[in-house]
Amino acid sequence: MLKSKFAGLGAVLALGVLTTAAFAQDKPVAGEVKDGSLKGKTLTFVSYGGIYQDGQAAALKEFVDKSGVKLLNDGPTEIAKLQAQVESGNVTWDVVDTADLPPYVYCGKLFQKLDLSKLDVSKIPEGQVGECSVPAMNYGVVLMYNKEKYKDNPPKSWADFFDIEKFPGVRGLDGSGDPTGGLLEQAFKAAGGDPKAMTAGDIDKAIDVIRKLGPDTIYWKTGAESQQLAESGEADMLMMWTGRAMTAVKNGAKYAPAWQDWLVVMDQMTIPVGVKDTDAAYALLNAYLGKQSQEILAQQTSYTPINNDAQPKVDASVAAFLTNTPERQKQGYKQNIKFWVENFPLAQEKWSALMAGN
Amino acid sequence: MSALEPTTQPAAAVRPGRAWRPFALTLPALVLLAAVIGYPLITIVLRSLSEPEWGAQNYVWFFGAPVNLAVLQRTFTISAWVTLVCVVCAYPYAYLMTAVGPRIRLVLVLCVLIPFWVSGVVRTLSWVILLQDSGVINSLLRSAGFTGIRLIRTQTGVVIGMAQVLLPFMILPLYSVMKGIDLKLVQAARSLGARPSRAFFTVYLPLSLPGVYAGAIIVFILALGFYITPALLGGPRSTMLSTLVQTQVLSLLQWGRGGAMGVVLLVTTFLLLALAAPVMRSRHREAGRR
Repeated sequence: MLKSKFAGLGAVLALGVLTTAAFAQDKPVAGEVKDGSLKGKTLTFVSYGGIYQDGQAAALKEFVDKSGVKLLNDGPTEIAKLQAQVESGNVTWDVVDTADLPPYVYCGKLFQKLDLSKLDVSKIPEGQVGECSVPAMNYGVVLMYNKEKYKDNPPKSWADFFDIEKFPGVRGLDGSGDPTGGLLEQAFKAAGGDPKAMTAGDIDKAIDVIRKLGPDTIYWKTGAESQQLAESGEADMLMMWTGRAMTAVKNGAKYAPAWQDWLVVMDQMTIPVGVKDTDAAYALLNAYLGKQSQEILAQQTSYTPINNDAQPKVDASVAAFLTNTPERQKQGYKQNIKFWVENFPLAQEKWSALMAGN
Repeated sequence: MSALEPTTQPAAAVRPGRAWRPFALTLPALVLLAAVIGYPLITIVLRSLSEPEWGAQNYVWFFGAPVNLAVLQRTFTISAWVTLVCVVCAYPYAYLMTAVGPRIRLVLVLCVLIPFWVSGVVRTLSWVILLQDSGVINSLLRSAGFTGIRLIRTQTGVVIGMAQVLLPFMILPLYSVMKGIDLKLVQAARSLGARPSRAFFTVYLPLSLPGVYAGAIIVFILALGFYITPALLGGPRSTMLSTLVQTQVLSLLQWGRGGAMGVVLLVTTFLLLALAAPVMRSRHREAGRR
């Protein structure tokens, strides 16, 4: 009896050691994938196309070569399409790049809760891993102003952006789709509110601040349009994505950024509910998060990498708009994701009414 | 009577079978229509009534939100303006096509068709270049000493852009009707002492009206569903219903609300056409009598 008990204990101990060892061995390292581990498998990666998705494909090339997986690219990402796939039980999108909020709004419904033991998230900038998402890249929404118009007295913050008396001129805002939570928080602040204590009823106040910018205000529909507005000088102050701001300045737009409280935004990487091979999808994500992949991505797209160790080799004009330097990190403003997720339909409704001229 | 019966009955028995033959020929088209229009349409109607639960909630929501009604009205107003601009531009053009020789006519037809083959997005973006504040039109105005006018992000800009995209749909039906009009009728009116304007208004115009109606209906209906042109050339005050549908479906996943908006647009269009139909028909008959 005693003997067998000890033997049992030994077996348990041995098993414990073995599993720990197995765990240690399997603990994922960002950017690494086993040779030939996904041979004969196919993964479909969905993103927004253009140079961005090309850059992502380049960042994943090593993963594809090593694992032997066949990678298909699809897009653009549309949550409605994904919903149709999930509802019909035929999910063909394995890894999906989405905008900032959807993974939070539809966490567990359209996007899987991520098992972080299958990913190495140790190099991701703090506070960016969600329950259903890891970041795909970082960028910023930055206030750009016309240097010739404002000369010695340039706007310094969003408060100045919303002050049409002290800073007359045409404003251009992102009207490409969903409202930008951070901008609404800044608008609420300009109206004397405290963004930290914002309530659902305050969304109206924030939108009123934007409405008061007047009928000449331009709501650009695409990133290209915002860039064109800067290059032709049609708007005096513009809310712009950093990538577009960088390109506009490179192309000769006489605009400069006001970095104070630039809005931190990101794309998210997600795995939809109901994908056929979850482990393969995790392997892709984990490879994507690697240092080298992120460097390639940053070099090709000028977006900010989301691996803290990444040291992309970019020229000065691109480096000027990267947002991961200590100085930029200090100036950045993070929106209250929880608030905007809870109030997503309400904010969207108010915003689309503003966009429809009401 | 009874002697005739044996001969007529078999014929009568055969006829219904024959009557179905033309329908059999249209069967592929009908099946296609049922699949690509009928089925989605029924789905849209069902979803508008069943999401998130059964009931008229989506319609209550639609008519309860002022922004929806304002945009619905604006959608019809813009479409009406576009139709009017198309009629005014297309009428003389189509007439010219009937009046010139075959070689020039070919050039005129190509002028209509070539932009037709270019994607609507590309044409809309060309309008951005022309209409923007620092664009071609405003630069010309300024260099001629005028002050610039705001065209882009206004309803005027949207109407101009949409009218250009839709112009072929007006010109082609008009031309096909006009080329069938016997110009000798106009000559006859003139020889009976009618002034040119009278000959035109009492003889030519009524005969060409079926073409105007056909073109106007196509242009109007296509204009109602326009998405990309108002999105790129317009501002908030020229947003059309399709943009609101897009927000509901793609951003909020409110398929029910999006469906209700589509159904409201469809039903309103049918109602308007039903109202317009008797007017068109009577005019048509009048034209026939003359």
